[in-house]
Amino acid sequence: MPVVQRVIKPRTKRSKRALEKREPQLVENTKQCLFFHGLKTSEGIRECVKDLHALKSQASLKLQQKNKILPFDDILPVERLAVKHDSSLFCMATHSKKRPNNIVIGRMFDHHLLDMVELGVENYAPLSEFKNAKVAAGTKPCMVFCGTEFEDVTEFKILKNLLIDFFRGVEAKEIRLQGFEHALQFTVFDGKVFLKSYRILLKKSGTRIPRVELEEIGPSMTLQMRRNRFASNDLRKRSLQQPKQQKANKVKNVRKDPFGTRLGRVHMTKQDIGKLQTRKMKGLKEITKKTKKTKGRVSGDEQMETDQ
Amino acid sequence: MRKRGGRGKSVSKKKEEEEGERREREIKIPKSRLKPHDRKLLNTPAARHWPPYPAGPPLEAHQPNEDTQTSATDKVRDILLKAREEVKSVQVEVKEIQLECDLGNLVVSDNNTLPQSTLRNSDECNEYLQSLARDGIQTLITKVWDLPTERIDNAVYVTLPKPSISIPREKKAPVEKPLTKWEQYAKDKGITKRKKEKKVWDEVLKQWVPRYGFRKVQADKEKNWVRVVPETADPYEDQYAKAAEIKKENIAKNEFQRLRNIARNRKVKLPSVGVTGNEFARPKDLLRAAQHAKHATASLGKFQPGLKGEKSSKGRGNKRKSEEVATMDIQQEKKRNIDIFDKIGKPDLNLDAAMYRQVKDDNVEHDRKKKGGKKHLRRSKMGGRHLTPSDHRSIKLGKGIHNGPKGKSGKGRDAGPGNKGKGKDRASLLQLASKRGATGKIIMTAKKRKKFSKR
Repeated sequence: MPVVQRVIKPRTKRSKRALEKREPQLVENTKQCLFFHGLKTSEGIRECVKDLHALKSQASLKLQQKNKILPFDDILPVERLAVKHDSSLFCMATHSKKRPNNIVIGRMFDHHLLDMVELGVENYAPLSEFKNAKVAAGTKPCMVFCGTEFEDVTEFKILKNLLIDFFRGVEAKEIRLQGFEHALQFTVFDGKVFLKSYRILLKKSGTRIPRVELEEIGPSMTLQMRRNRFASNDLRKRSLQQPKQQKANKVKNVRKDPFGTRLGRVHMTKQDIGKLQTRKMKGLKEITKKTKKTKGRVSGDEQMETDQ
Repeated sequence: MRKRGGRGKSVSKKKEEEEGERREREIKIPKSRLKPHDRKLLNTPAARHWPPYPAGPPLEAHQPNEDTQTSATDKVRDILLKAREEVKSVQVEVKEIQLECDLGNLVVSDNNTLPQSTLRNSDECNEYLQSLARDGIQTLITKVWDLPTERIDNAVYVTLPKPSISIPREKKAPVEKPLTKWEQYAKDKGITKRKKEKKVWDEVLKQWVPRYGFRKVQADKEKNWVRVVPETADPYEDQYAKAAEIKKENIAKNEFQRLRNIARNRKVKLPSVGVTGNEFARPKDLLRAAQHAKHATASLGKFQPGLKGEKSSKGRGNKRKSEEVATMDIQQEKKRNIDIFDKIGKPDLNLDAAMYRQVKDDNVEHDRKKKGGKKHLRRSKMGGRHLTPSDHRSIKLGKGIHNGPKGKSGKGRDAGPGNKGKGKDRASLLQLASKRGATGKIIMTAKKRKKFSKR
């Protein structure tokens, strides 16, 4: 049966712009993150979600209501929410006896689930516990991944990719040198991931390059990987495909002089120089005898005729 | 597209912060307080070369009462010593496996094995992790500082290279929209779009009139205050209504063509009837759709094959039972035929229903005739049994309810059984009902039947 989606006709310019923003684009928007709760949450996990939301404040949305959603049973309600809020990252917090202090972090591709990981939060130290100056919201963080599992074990490899996607924020091509303020550290040890957040202080050293000093500011937690649902290989391949238009075009036949002049090379078809179109100079036109004679005769004949 | 990372603060706040930091770093010894030979000491090469940003707290201002000469040199020496201590190296200890940096994403990967004992120990754990992080970030910063820089708006920006760790996209790559039917035709014919001005000079009104949008309708009305009836048209035809009708049709046609273009683009074949699949349909709706489809068979879904675990719905509707004419008694058959004939002649009369229906119709008609027309319709679907507050009041007062100008066709509010007051009484309604029947339509009466039977 064909899938018939509702065709929304925008009634205002503003709604039209909003719809265009949600369409697939060559250079994509920053991934929005959606934070929401399940039916039951604990105070600790609520604080954790609040801190994560503060960390990603520019590109995240936190829902207030409780949702009767079980992502590992039925992902459809999550997909619907993501479509509604145009977010491709989500983080769901729940708490139960079997899975205490649980968060499910996931990402979408083309409005469908790509990857999803269930993490148990232990030893959580909130932002408020670290009493020092924090970093401005929306700063792009530097990330450090420590531990061999992030390269060897596939699950942790995918988790690393997911965490980078989740925390990286804006895709920046240029960064202010003073903009390096925030650092996140993920360490794998004993099957657990330690998350720590620092503030970068750039101190003057004798050289041009500054000395880095770190000060722990943000939430610190131990994540225990529980269940997961990762994408199949072909889906992952499709999601990593970049649009053809973004491929850098090779520039051929153009080179630069040592003087800096830009020189190009033009390839032409074979030309018959004798038949080239040049400027016409009437004076230089060849007047043959033939043409002269015909001109004179015509006028003479006419005259003779009229006379008679 | 240029995207700049950095602090999320406003420009003024940034400046304040920078100034504050600078203030902290500078050692404030007001020169005016120093004696001349102290000032000379400050200018010595040793003092001049000390780094201006020692991490320690700023030294106190020079006190003029103290023994100046020795304390000044001491102070300078102290400053130099402190500064030298503070200058720590940018070096990172060499690791077993070199740290991998992905500058595009600002990610550092440290693939060295971690010492189990230190990490198991909760005291040393945090410190060790912090040192690991520091090393990683130092490596990253070293590499970043070597990148090409740009100076934009009094700030130094560094251009990051392409990221090496590929992150999946959010949505699919955009698909080139296929041309609509008109766009294709225009392209073939070579018709180009020409931008039209919003305001158009109108000779009749002698002013600039908008071609579309705000105040266009007003301008049109001003211009076309009279409409010429064409010769061929019916003189009693409403030209304005006709024009409105045509406009409505045009809009509908436009909408239809737009949707058709979209359907063609999406290559969706729309069925003319039936249920279309919906990605986000609720399971309840899908079940109902399946049940409908199943039921639309001769056996009313009884003999339709179902899926494993599919719940079969209980019998909906009564199937027409085949007549057992052959097995019927003569008496029974006779009775059956007479009943049929009676039914044709005399309808199954639900008197109350008929009454209420009649009353309701009359009330609705009365409301419609009132000033303002439909707006003042306050009859509910309860068929005239609904009494408004004013009705209740008048019943209470014993005045009865006001009837319309035409006596019988006035409001028959108290037409229900057992109500006092004027209006339609049961007898007259019965008459009407007998004429009209339960459906309210006039059907065969006894007189009429006689007429027909004569023929």
